[in-house]
Amino acid sequence: MRTSVAFGVWAYMVIAVLTEVEIYYMLRTANYDLMTAAVSVLATSQATAIVVFNMQLKDEPGAIRLFALIPIMFLSALLIAELASLG
Amino acid sequence: MLYFFTSLYFGIIGAILALLMRVQLSVPNNFFLSAYYYDQAVTMHGLIMIFWFLSPIAIGLANYFVPLQIGAKDLAFPRLNAMSYWLYLSGGIMAVLSFFVPGGSADAGWTNYQPLAVLTPGSGTTLVYLGLVLLAASITLGSINFVVSIIWLRAPGMSLDKLPMFTWFILFTIIAMLFAFPTLIAAFALASSDRILGTVFFTSTQIQPSILWDNLFWFFGHPEVYIVLLPGFGIIANIVPQFTGRPLAAKNAILVATALVVLPLSFGVWMHHMFLTGIPVDLQGAFSIATIAISIPFDVITLSFVESMIRGRVKLLTPMLFVLGAVVLFIIGGITGVFLSSPVLDRVFRGSYFVVAHFHYVMVGAAIFSIFAGIYYWIPRFTGRMYNERLGKIHFVISFIGFNVLYFPMNFLFDMPRRIFTYPNIGNWALLNGIASVGAFIFAGAQTLLAANLLYTWFRGPPSPPNPWGSPDLEWKSQPVLTPSPTAPTDTSESPPAGGWIGQLATPASPATETHAAGAEHGEAHYSSRPIQLSFGAMIFLMGAAFYPGILAIGLMVIGGALFAVALGGWARDDLRHKFAPPPEEEGDRWPFQGVSKMKLGMWVFLSSEIVLFGSFLAAYIFIRGAAVTFPAPGSIHDIPLGTLNTIILATSGLTMFLAIQAIRQGDRRRLMQWMSVTFMLGSTFMGIKISEWVNLGSSGFTLSAPYPFNLAASAYYIIVGLHGAHVTAGLIMMVYLMKKTKDGEYTKESHEAIENFGLYWAFIDIVWCFIFPLFYLL
Repeated sequence: MRTSVAFGVWAYMVIAVLTEVEIYYMLRTANYDLMTAAVSVLATSQATAIVVFNMQLKDEPGAIRLFALIPIMFLSALLIAELASLG
Repeated sequence: MLYFFTSLYFGIIGAILALLMRVQLSVPNNFFLSAYYYDQAVTMHGLIMIFWFLSPIAIGLANYFVPLQIGAKDLAFPRLNAMSYWLYLSGGIMAVLSFFVPGGSADAGWTNYQPLAVLTPGSGTTLVYLGLVLLAASITLGSINFVVSIIWLRAPGMSLDKLPMFTWFILFTIIAMLFAFPTLIAAFALASSDRILGTVFFTSTQIQPSILWDNLFWFFGHPEVYIVLLPGFGIIANIVPQFTGRPLAAKNAILVATALVVLPLSFGVWMHHMFLTGIPVDLQGAFSIATIAISIPFDVITLSFVESMIRGRVKLLTPMLFVLGAVVLFIIGGITGVFLSSPVLDRVFRGSYFVVAHFHYVMVGAAIFSIFAGIYYWIPRFTGRMYNERLGKIHFVISFIGFNVLYFPMNFLFDMPRRIFTYPNIGNWALLNGIASVGAFIFAGAQTLLAANLLYTWFRGPPSPPNPWGSPDLEWKSQPVLTPSPTAPTDTSESPPAGGWIGQLATPASPATETHAAGAEHGEAHYSSRPIQLSFGAMIFLMGAAFYPGILAIGLMVIGGALFAVALGGWARDDLRHKFAPPPEEEGDRWPFQGVSKMKLGMWVFLSSEIVLFGSFLAAYIFIRGAAVTFPAPGSIHDIPLGTLNTIILATSGLTMFLAIQAIRQGDRRRLMQWMSVTFMLGSTFMGIKISEWVNLGSSGFTLSAPYPFNLAASAYYIIVGLHGAHVTAGLIMMVYLMKKTKDGEYTKESHEAIENFGLYWAFIDIVWCFIFPLFYLL
């Protein structure tokens, strides 16, 4: 990965976290659900940027990508089902 | 071998507890054991048998035979393997010691349903919980080792399609372990923190803690069934061709069914254990269908075994008899399992002895009988001597009869509750329980024949031919280690059996034979007392934690912590002095991981288990947020500007770590040191701010003893953010070590893998924080 890309990822991280906080202040009372959705998307995008660029998952063989993806799939199942189990 | 014999020792303890239970239940209104002792016996029987016997005995066989089957000298990380064993033993010691502390051992059943279990008084339950955490850590380390070994250490020509079935099934088992056990760690760590620190994850009445526990425990617990079962299926699949004289039928279908259906679906059926908890009907329906679906690949596997036997000419020697027994018992257990997938029938059967029969047929019958098959099959390879066939057959007959006398009557006890220590004389309960108890003693007594046969083989057995079963697998191409057979070949380049795949290997004889010949020497080169010190240090520390508070507890924690720190320092010192030079990386068949180094693969596998670990903690937190009737308003507790600053600091440390890696990629050690130092300072600043936040929060009353819902928020915050902080701290310690090595001129442009791998770890820490910050500060 080129150094400029690393700086780009870092800049995105900083902007994203500041945006999260800004969204929090803007929407916390007006629309909590929208705030939750927006902040979740931003957090996920930050994590994805780190995995793809800083950890260079995009350059790894598909089998390594699977090792990163499989637990996320299992955890998604856990999260969805456990929240559904609340009724 | 250590694994194997230690697991037998724990198996004997578990069996004694089972016999005590069966004596208690042999007649109605019996008081041989009081409820106090019976509850402990039933709980610890389950825990010891599942965690310290059934899985480890299979792992013991795998430890011995997987490297041999893939043509490797040893597992990929020998000292990690030792660490894994000693952690397993340490956890087991804690579990057994729990019987001797005031209040006795854990007594809420092996499932440790909450909040029942967390409210049990005494330190015994906590000792067991922390022992389980050690065991789960051991299994996670072992899983990393096995995955890397099977993928990375295969001999040239040993492509995946030529992998022996036992090794294939160990790989499946290990992958399931890798993703299941971190959730067990999370569940028991949360329960332990409730018992030791006073957090309220499972004691708060406001968040349906029983549902939280059920989700976490069974998300681990159901894959655990397959973790126990799959090695046995691997043994069967490995043995059947030799005793039927024909290749295994539908081998590829078995592999595909297990890899693509059993493994993924094993993590998608856990809620059938929760049908009675009041989960929504739609959810019950979905999990009922998933549970029925997972039986289909097992039909494929079972039918494949049966077809192989029908089409072949079965040689009814002891290993094959046990294979037959395992298949029959699995079919019985499997059929009764299908009943339990129905929410309606589950309502009737769940709390009864019908379930006890079902899971013992599957987890004990199929698993143990196949492991016995493996022991008889491989004992000539262990010892160079043949077992006594007649005694083996008698062992099988009595075991099979004893097992069925013990468990089959329980199928008819579907009206008897299974969680009672004694029972009134109702219907045929007394008769069926009496028969079951007789069966228990027959089954247990039969195992003395196994012990006798093992001892006979070891000391008096006639020399075994070098490959008594005509197997094409590599483990038979080398000499036994314990007692070299007088007939064992010195020239191991013998011709492969006709039709065997070994002949298709690129270099059929040399890789396997050469590596085996050097195996013992290679193992000795990695002898180190550090894994023992580290494990015992962790054990003593956790014992202290279990007894906390008190002088004894603090003393144990200090001693354990000191031993751990000294061992860790010693391990680092050994490495700095190059005491254990890594073996040269040899060419091997590494598809589908070509181009990925051993250490890097190990790091990615470790991180994938870490995803599950943090994910489980965060899933618990999200559940709490969803279940809590009220929760502190976002922004009312935490300092958002300070948290934002800290997030930016950690993100910046990710950038500087990348710049450090770039520097060494260009061979610039000076810049590497500079950027690592900056990263260290940023990481330390992050931790410093975190600690100051904790101090401020604590002094402002945000503590575990605060009123609801602040105690709940504090519990989640301190434990989850604390876990992340522990990872950051571990990273800082690693950084000091890496900087020391850099200063010693260790890393070059060509050789700096440790720095690259540390970069992955540090980036992962950053990722976790991406979710912790919004979850705790903003949402």
